[in-house]
Amino acid sequence: MIDPKPSYELLQFVVQRVNVGVFVVDRQYTVCYWNNFMASHSLKSAFDVVGRNLFDTFPDLPVRWFKKKIDSVFVVKSYAFTTWEYRNYLFKFKHNRPITGGAEYMFQNLTLIPIKNESNGDVDQVMVLLRDSTDEACYASKLREAMAELEHLSQVDGLTGLYNRIHWEQRMAAEFARSRRYGTTFSLLMIDIDHFKKINDEFGHLAGDDVIRMVAKLIQNSSRKSDIAGRYGGEEFGILLCETGITGAVIFAERLRIRIADYALCLDRQGGEQHVTVSVGIARYQEGMRNHEQVLARSDEALYESKQNGRNRVTVCQEDRDECLLNTPKSL
Amino acid sequence: MENLVLKEEQRDCLQELVNVAMGQAGDSLARYLEVFVELSVPRVRIIQIDQLHLELNLLANHATSVSAVRQGFYDACDGNGMRGEAIVIFGDASFKELSELLAYDEPLTAASEEEMLLDITNVLNGACLSGIGEQIENELAFSPPSVIGRHIPPEAVVQKDKVDWDKALMVEINYKVENRSFQCGLLLLMPKDVICVVIDALDRLLEE
Repeated sequence: MIDPKPSYELLQFVVQRVNVGVFVVDRQYTVCYWNNFMASHSLKSAFDVVGRNLFDTFPDLPVRWFKKKIDSVFVVKSYAFTTWEYRNYLFKFKHNRPITGGAEYMFQNLTLIPIKNESNGDVDQVMVLLRDSTDEACYASKLREAMAELEHLSQVDGLTGLYNRIHWEQRMAAEFARSRRYGTTFSLLMIDIDHFKKINDEFGHLAGDDVIRMVAKLIQNSSRKSDIAGRYGGEEFGILLCETGITGAVIFAERLRIRIADYALCLDRQGGEQHVTVSVGIARYQEGMRNHEQVLARSDEALYESKQNGRNRVTVCQEDRDECLLNTPKSL
Repeated sequence: MENLVLKEEQRDCLQELVNVAMGQAGDSLARYLEVFVELSVPRVRIIQIDQLHLELNLLANHATSVSAVRQGFYDACDGNGMRGEAIVIFGDASFKELSELLAYDEPLTAASEEEMLLDITNVLNGACLSGIGEQIENELAFSPPSVIGRHIPPEAVVQKDKVDWDKALMVEINYKVENRSFQCGLLLLMPKDVICVVIDALDRLLEE
């Protein structure tokens, strides 16, 4: 018969050399055992630590919180855990990626296990296992970055960097719901590049892309942080002006229209200067509207009117026209 | 798998066993959280996978949005004893009160809320399961708890198409903290092969 029980020397070797931190504390938080992993990473040997209070030796530990953890093992007589996901580390240990990096201190997962007194079942000591989770944390952080990148890519239009139509409409639906709940308002600008087909035909599609990028850039530069700008379709853009009434929206739209018209582009090989213009339609959220599509429909009608009346102009939808406090005609 | 049914005396025995464990659990919880914890009479039964969603909804008290945490437990010595998973379901209203109970100083963030859910799950499970294990002389070990989801419908806690069991032994317990609106529900679920282990242990107890 082989005796399955290991020798004391073997046990000693295993516990000392396992690449997991192992230590034991009693009810007064006095350290009763400290293995090699702990010694090597804390730079304190068992001689420095055993017999002394854990929190005296390591004043950096989150005392109140960690005591509560240890106490829970004595009281509940069951396991306790801490994870790097919520508390990256307890001990300020050097990690084992000194070259490849990615962390400040070793990320740690701890398991606290009650050591029961064989005779009466009381828990007199707690064993703590400390696992190096730095690699796991590095992978997780890479994954998070990739997810954030994907999320961003799924929301923006590749050509212009503005929000794509799906995301822009989602934001508008959210803003619509917010206005309805809190009784605020927002205005919506629909913008269309004039004679865009002609630009494409005359200068080619690459030049057409340049024009779209230019308009998008001027939209972005003109927008405040709270404005929500998106590419609605081919040469059509939408801007949501939060907490903004018709007058404010018209001022914004006129400024943008003029900036675009003034911008000199070089679309042909000969180096001549070209100018493009845009037509704009404006509507605002009115109480009692059922959904954001209603605002969209009104600004679309106003945009159509701008086109009908000769383009390069700003038009407020019929329903909101009386609200504009400016003396300016519908176009400048 | 011959008889995967709990005979009446076996069920009574298990119920009593859980009752005793709950008594101990309630006591240690009260000492740990420094509040009195009310526990429902545990329900014990063998369920089919098809009934699980109904049970989850019952446990959620018909809330449509819950947070759920799971934790595995297993035999601490040789793997021939109890093994399963505990699922704790929290109504979404409970968090501020929880932070008071657990002495979290910092203001609650999404991360500290989750940490809190893990802590409370671990304490509830540990207290209750250690008590059960002790009575059938089966020392248990635990895996770290992990969050299944936040603000999810109760049906989403266990996705039926992801599991490969059809029957499980279920123990259901509801926790309430005295004078507070905090409440949560605990399900202990043990897969088919463990049911026989538990039944054997119950028979041994009944013989004594």
